Amino acid sequence: MIVAGLLLAVAAVVLVALPFLRDPAARDDRLDAPSEAEERRLALVEERDRALAALKELEFDHRTGKIADGDYRELVGPLRRAAASALRALDAEARYGAAVTAFEPPDLPPEPAPPPDEGTPPTPAPVPEPYPPPDEATVPAPPQE
Amino acid sequence: MADLGRAALVVTLGLSVYALLAGAVAARANRRRLADSARNALFCSFASTLVAAAVLAVALARHDFSFSYVASHTNRALPTAYALSAFWGGQEGSLLLWLLILTGYGALAVALNRRLLRDLTAWVVPVFGGIATFFAFVLVAVASPFGTQTAPFDGAGLTPSLQNPYMVAHPPMLYLGYVGLSVPFAFAAGALLSGRTDERWIVATRRWTLAAWTFLGFGQLLGAHWAYVEVGWGGYYAWDPVENAALMPWLAATAFLHSVMIQERKGMLKVWNMVLVALAFELSVFGTFLTRSGVVNSIHSFARSSIGPWFLAFVVISSLFSLALIMWRLPLLKARTRLESALSREATFLYNNLLLVALCLTILWGVLFPILTQLVKGETRTIGRPYYDFFLRAFGLPLLLLMGIGPLIAWRKASVRALARTLAWPIAAAIAAGAALVAAGAGSSRPGLIAYTFSAFVLATIVVELVRGTRATGSVFALVARNRRRYGGYVVHAAVVLLAIGIAGSSAYSTTVERRLALGETMHVAGYSLTNRGVTVARKPNVTETRAHLAVTGPWSGSIASGNNDYVNPPEPSREVGIRTDWARAEDLYVIVDEAHPRTNLIYVEVLVKPLVNLIWVAGLVFLVGSGIALWPDAREQRRLVTRLVPAAP
Repeated sequence: MIVAGLLLAVAAVVLVALPFLRDPAARDDRLDAPSEAEERRLALVEERDRALAALKELEFDHRTGKIADGDYRELVGPLRRAAASALRALDAEARYGAAVTAFEPPDLPPEPAPPPDEGTPPTPAPVPEPYPPPDEATVPAPPQE
Repeated sequence: MADLGRAALVVTLGLSVYALLAGAVAARANRRRLADSARNALFCSFASTLVAAAVLAVALARHDFSFSYVASHTNRALPTAYALSAFWGGQEGSLLLWLLILTGYGALAVALNRRLLRDLTAWVVPVFGGIATFFAFVLVAVASPFGTQTAPFDGAGLTPSLQNPYMVAHPPMLYLGYVGLSVPFAFAAGALLSGRTDERWIVATRRWTLAAWTFLGFGQLLGAHWAYVEVGWGGYYAWDPVENAALMPWLAATAFLHSVMIQERKGMLKVWNMVLVALAFELSVFGTFLTRSGVVNSIHSFARSSIGPWFLAFVVISSLFSLALIMWRLPLLKARTRLESALSREATFLYNNLLLVALCLTILWGVLFPILTQLVKGETRTIGRPYYDFFLRAFGLPLLLLMGIGPLIAWRKASVRALARTLAWPIAAAIAAGAALVAAGAGSSRPGLIAYTFSAFVLATIVVELVRGTRATGSVFALVARNRRRYGGYVVHAAVVLLAIGIAGSSAYSTTVERRLALGETMHVAGYSLTNRGVTVARKPNVTETRAHLAVTGPWSGSIASGNNDYVNPPEPSREVGIRTDWARAEDLYVIVDEAHPRTNLIYVEVLVKPLVNLIWVAGLVFLVGSGIALWPDAREQRRLVTRLVPAAP
């Protein structure tokens, strides 16, 4: 049994030393931590996901009658602007790096006029799924300047 | 054999210390190979702990009484299943189970996230290493399960009350929950240590937290059912300190599961979530301390020992570490948005959090009070059931109400008009239910009536939410599949409602009658008539069974028996109750024979009629279904996570 215990200890030491045994003279021994740019991208992705999820929630709450038409109209504009802004900033980050990440988009045109009757809410505009994979993304149309 | 177990634990201790120190140095100095080496040490610590656990399991199965632990907790007459369950029947074995689950969880959580969250896991490894070091040290130096002796012919046996199928499952379930809370704690600490306090640690540990919370919740229900059928006092929860020890981290984790949704959606409550994760973990270790130290009087007296000071030191050090870490990283945890309205889903989550934490801290105070009075005044003052019942009603009933309002209120901002329109049906259902209950005579207990009415309200909101959601999406399956976490959560809410109805019914509306019955005498309880038909004694190899037999007439007819078992090895008595469930009337007839005299056939009997008590056990199954829905893997979510963490090709 003592031999078995020793074998266990030796096996553990070998496995623990394995990264050094495999690569005794590593050229790059740094942890591949995210770069500053990657951290910025991550923050923007979180912002985008949060904005798209909030839009989706708002649409769903409106369709299920939890939110009044007036509140919906008041909230949907800033959320759409935030989502579009996050998407643009993400796109700019991917294309040009940090230099244009702080780009602030111009204000979008105002929301359409409120419907006359609150009892029959308008069919909301289709909203993209949050966190869409790149191949399924349906990016909202850019604002008309 | 014992040498191998001891050696395996020493190896685990060495590996854990290495994972702690090498992992911390590697993460601090940004050294990849050292970080990989520390990670391998964590993986190996699970393997070596598994070897130690296997040694103990084999010794238990073979009744190897040369192991002091095996001799103290089993005997030859014990069936194999109960012999194996003695693994967690004693202190040393249960600590080994803690360490096994901890290293297993740690290795798995790190392995699953090592590619996507490499920078974070570099700091998670030393945190797991630190926790494992403590438990391995206790097992090696303070309470080893591998102490040996000259083997006696037979062992002392397992406490009779632990020889119950529920006790085979209840402790491991609780440990899976307790230890599971170390995963979100380790990732949260890793996020703070690395300074990467984005949402990745939350996404990585979401299911771990939910799984730990499920195990802890279901484990408590198993324990409650064990107490109901085995302990024999007619109840299922006695506010015993050790029971509270499991409830407190569950409440903290419940608060976290709700508040973390606000962080995910709005980037708020980051500090609060860190505090809750740390609180849940510290309470789980504190719970183990309460269970194992013997510092408080508890029905779980079989678990007393002298390891308390070590645990107390660990709780204090890890709490200070968590607090310092949060204070250090406060600037990174600032919220960028604010609560937009006091009438919104996130606001109800906040109220829910405050109530849950208030209930948790109130229970903690009730547990600590006797210890503090002992320390300060030298006398033990215990806090009794009325204290806990009062705060359960004070915080629990508003929580129940919020559980109904929350799902129907919009995120960000809701108008009173929209809310009133949404809540109209549930309020109508609650009023109708309340009126019907008063008409049926349920007005005798005001808290019971309120609990029932609120329960009707919550159930109605769940139905309304499902109906409206189904209308909006076209199919209930599509609705649930699109947001498993939310709708799994609603099923869990339904389970909590069933639990509330069961607790209210069985406590506020139960009937209890105590009588001394001579042979042939009859007593009447809530429509039942019970007649003493005599006392029998059966002598078996390891036990003498004394039973009083009662003939029952009323809603059902038959017989019921209750009495005592007197065991030879271990020489302990065990009360055996008689329970008959009437599903048609949704109530239990519960018979406790306190004394039964075989010569005179005289018995002292307590009979309880407990309405709706079985809903508590049904709630456990519904709870599992809801948690299962919320835990079910979501391929779309996985794709989203990968696209978030892996930068798209330019």
